[in-house]
Amino acid sequence: MNDSQASTEDYDKPGDYEIRLWGHLDERWADRFAGLTIIREANGETLLTGPVVDQAALYGWLRKVRDLGMPLISVARVRGDQSHP
Amino acid sequence: MSSQSTQSLPTILTTKLYVPPQRANVVLRPRLVERLNEGLGHRLTLVSAPAGFGKTTLVSEWVAACAQSDPKVSAAWLSLDEADHDLTRFLMHLIAALQTVAPTIGAGLLPLLHAPQLPPTESLLTALLNDIAIVSGRFMLVLDDYHLTDARPIDEALAFLVEHLPPHLHVIMTTREDPDIPLARLRARAQLTEIRAKDLRFTSTEAAEFLNQVMGLNLPAEALSALEDRTEGWIAGLQLAALSLEGHQDTQGFIRAFAGDHRYIVDYLVAEVLERQPRPVRQFLLQTAVLDRFNASLCDAVTGQRDGIAQLEALERGNFFIVPLDDKRHWYRYHRLFADVLSAHLKAEQADQVAVLHQRASAWYEQHDLPADAIRHALMGEDFQRAATLIERAVPATRRSRQESALLGWLRALPDDILHFRPALNVQYAGTLLISGVMDGVEARLSDAERWLEMLAASDQYPAEALSGLVVVDEQEFRRVPGAVAMYRAAIGLLQGNVNDTLKYAGKIPELAGEEDDLLRGSGAGLLALAHWTRGELESARQAYKECITRLERIGHISDALGCHIALADIQMAQGQVLDARNTYERGWQLATRGGSVLRGASDMLVGLSQLDYERDDLKAATQHLLHTQELGELAGLPQNRYRWRAAMARIRHAEGDLLGALDLLHEAEQVFTRDFSPNVQPVHALKARLWIAQGKLDDALGWAREQGLSVDDPLSYLREFEHITLARIRLAQSKRVRADQLISETIEFLERLLLAAEAGGRTGSVIEILVLHALAWQLQGNISAALSPLKRALTLAEPEHYVRTFVDEGAPMMRLLEEAAKGGVAPGYVHQLLRSAGKAVEGPPVQHGLTDRLSEREIDVLRLLATDLSGPEIARELIVSLNTLRTHTRNIFAKLGANNRRTAIRRAEELDLL
Repeated sequence: MNDSQASTEDYDKPGDYEIRLWGHLDERWADRFAGLTIIREANGETLLTGPVVDQAALYGWLRKVRDLGMPLISVARVRGDQSHP
Repeated sequence: MSSQSTQSLPTILTTKLYVPPQRANVVLRPRLVERLNEGLGHRLTLVSAPAGFGKTTLVSEWVAACAQSDPKVSAAWLSLDEADHDLTRFLMHLIAALQTVAPTIGAGLLPLLHAPQLPPTESLLTALLNDIAIVSGRFMLVLDDYHLTDARPIDEALAFLVEHLPPHLHVIMTTREDPDIPLARLRARAQLTEIRAKDLRFTSTEAAEFLNQVMGLNLPAEALSALEDRTEGWIAGLQLAALSLEGHQDTQGFIRAFAGDHRYIVDYLVAEVLERQPRPVRQFLLQTAVLDRFNASLCDAVTGQRDGIAQLEALERGNFFIVPLDDKRHWYRYHRLFADVLSAHLKAEQADQVAVLHQRASAWYEQHDLPADAIRHALMGEDFQRAATLIERAVPATRRSRQESALLGWLRALPDDILHFRPALNVQYAGTLLISGVMDGVEARLSDAERWLEMLAASDQYPAEALSGLVVVDEQEFRRVPGAVAMYRAAIGLLQGNVNDTLKYAGKIPELAGEEDDLLRGSGAGLLALAHWTRGELESARQAYKECITRLERIGHISDALGCHIALADIQMAQGQVLDARNTYERGWQLATRGGSVLRGASDMLVGLSQLDYERDDLKAATQHLLHTQELGELAGLPQNRYRWRAAMARIRHAEGDLLGALDLLHEAEQVFTRDFSPNVQPVHALKARLWIAQGKLDDALGWAREQGLSVDDPLSYLREFEHITLARIRLAQSKRVRADQLISETIEFLERLLLAAEAGGRTGSVIEILVLHALAWQLQGNISAALSPLKRALTLAEPEHYVRTFVDEGAPMMRLLEEAAKGGVAPGYVHQLLRSAGKAVEGPPVQHGLTDRLSEREIDVLRLLATDLSGPEIARELIVSLNTLRTHTRNIFAKLGANNRRTAIRRAEELDLL
């Protein structure tokens, strides 16, 4: 939310995204989601995070998530200068 | 009949049309069945939910139950896959699916789908809906796994279909995501039934029934409730849980651990299931996961074992997410979600095996003569050399069946360093790119291939190793390379407006390609013809078109040959060979309608005949030919036909005195005009300028001439001849108003120049028109004897070809000149005939030629029966005609009433009080 002043142009540029899913995804899917890091959080959610080249690439990831049938909780763009917890 | 048309389409996968079979033991879901039954009263049922919610099972069980309870209801089933994002492939399979209900549906459309250029989708779908409208009985169309198509054109086609659905057809879609069709509108009109995830989840009762009765687990109540909580009624989860529990010692412990775990259900449970399988079963599951469909023999080839039959039987018995694809239990596939997880396991545990497994699958498909699958697996196994060899072998067949889009997909997947060593394939790639409208990189591929030829020709000048990498799979394909390179360069010339290049390269093809290579030689001749035509070299163009037509017909490219018939006839008309042009169109019409079917291009032949009828002053026949095309439907016309039809009709309207109607048609013609590679020698704007002259709007006509930058001092060229003659006409009309001798004498000089150019170019058709204007110009100056000399020449040239309208359209002044000519004894018989025609034309325009499209007695009979509940076959029996004849009547009725389907036709008929 704190990057609301960014222009749409910024969103077309490569950036880090976080895709949050309900349930823990096995490391086995690392190949399917190559390029993203799979983080299993204590609350039972999975965070897929990493650089996304553009919007088309983002939708590609989301399609893969759809095909798993795992509930999608959120998709968020995180600034390149922000470090993950 | 349907099996025949299916056989001619090697790409139809019949396993896609098979309704998944009923299982012996399933959870009955009356609440959903009721919703589905109610949905039949609406247009569309959408079953939309994520993976693993039992969408396909629900719909297939219900379809089977419907068929049992009411034998009159039948279902067409189509399982979609990723390749269906290609509109042509989607439509082919859609028609094949509908033909399982009624073999007549879309039978006439299949040849059109094999043409290089697809007709407008809406016309195709309208024709399809017309076919559906006359099928008896209610039926449904199931589109399973619709989300896999993922393409805008497919969504648009489906939206159109749903919008225009006849009442006896119902569409059901299962999908993982809502399709991009106007769902909100359908909802608002109560035309949509939706079954979504919340509806599909198993309730407690259903879950209990499934686990205890279907899977035979006998779990206590608290275990059931724990499983239901953990899976939230998600069916794939429950089924996997049941598989994990089978034969498990510690049921309670398993359920406790599962309930307390955060892992993605599928991950957790598949790992459990796999762990519990004996090693051979586990290995079988993982290795066959690379296959998107399989039979026992293919499984054996991939696993290297011989237990495929036994394994598949055991998997089916054990409810292992395996779906039969035919009723012989021959082909199967895994449930897609299960297959996804299995291949994730395979990649994680045996990454080095994946490529090997694909290569084995590719080899099996190759042995079983299924090249497309062999190529797909070779590409997935990243064995590019093997893939390239398979593709090279498949090229001639794909070229024949016009499967350019498949070919392009394969070639794009090959690395360039492999293509470089395979000149035949590289040239084919260049050509396939050109066909799909891509110019980038084409020339580079052609010259790359050509370098090999140069090196081979001068091999003594190169070290032996320079030639060592060359791969030639098919000698014959390799021998085509030089001719193909020239042909594609000729095409590039045309695309870039560089006609001289086209002439140069197309001219070389006869020495480079064998006499027997009709495709290369025919295409070359066609390109040559276009180049000559554009340069105004009509006789060379005519000869080249004749060769092109002969060769294209020989290899069955009939629609392309029909396109060349139009060009040939246009050229013959410009040459003043009206009778030859008529032969050309009559021959084309026979070709287009041979064997009972109507090919794309048939309408164009009728429009051509109409133009010729017009010239010989048979307006009735001219009109009838145009109306006949409407009965054939939009699909029988090539892209230019919509424009040519309007231009032809405009002339008829003009002759009938309806100038405004003619102008409207020309406006429309302008809008539907699509540019192709033929020279546009009679542009619509010039036709409009001629109409303005007739309307007396000389200012508009002069404005046009200024806009086009036309002047009597212009250098003359064939491409602008029609416009220049139009300019001469404007100036003659001007000099009728203001008697300016200079204006006339300048125009006469201009006409003399035009005449010399037309004579030099062998354009007798233009020569006649110019001589007629010449005569009229002298007449305006009051010099009748000078006028008679060009008129006499015009009559001599025109008589053997039976020209009439070229003279008659000039009106009263021409009549006076003809009367003078008759006194002088010039061509007396012919002149009297012209005067008779002219007299008729001057008496005033005849009444509109039945353009209100009266229905015949017979058609009214059919219409009355269409308004009843009788089905197509029943109507045919009632009238004692064949179904085919009935179809013809129905089409004619629809065309005359401007209706797309039975419902609209009845409504129009009621409005018009015809019933």
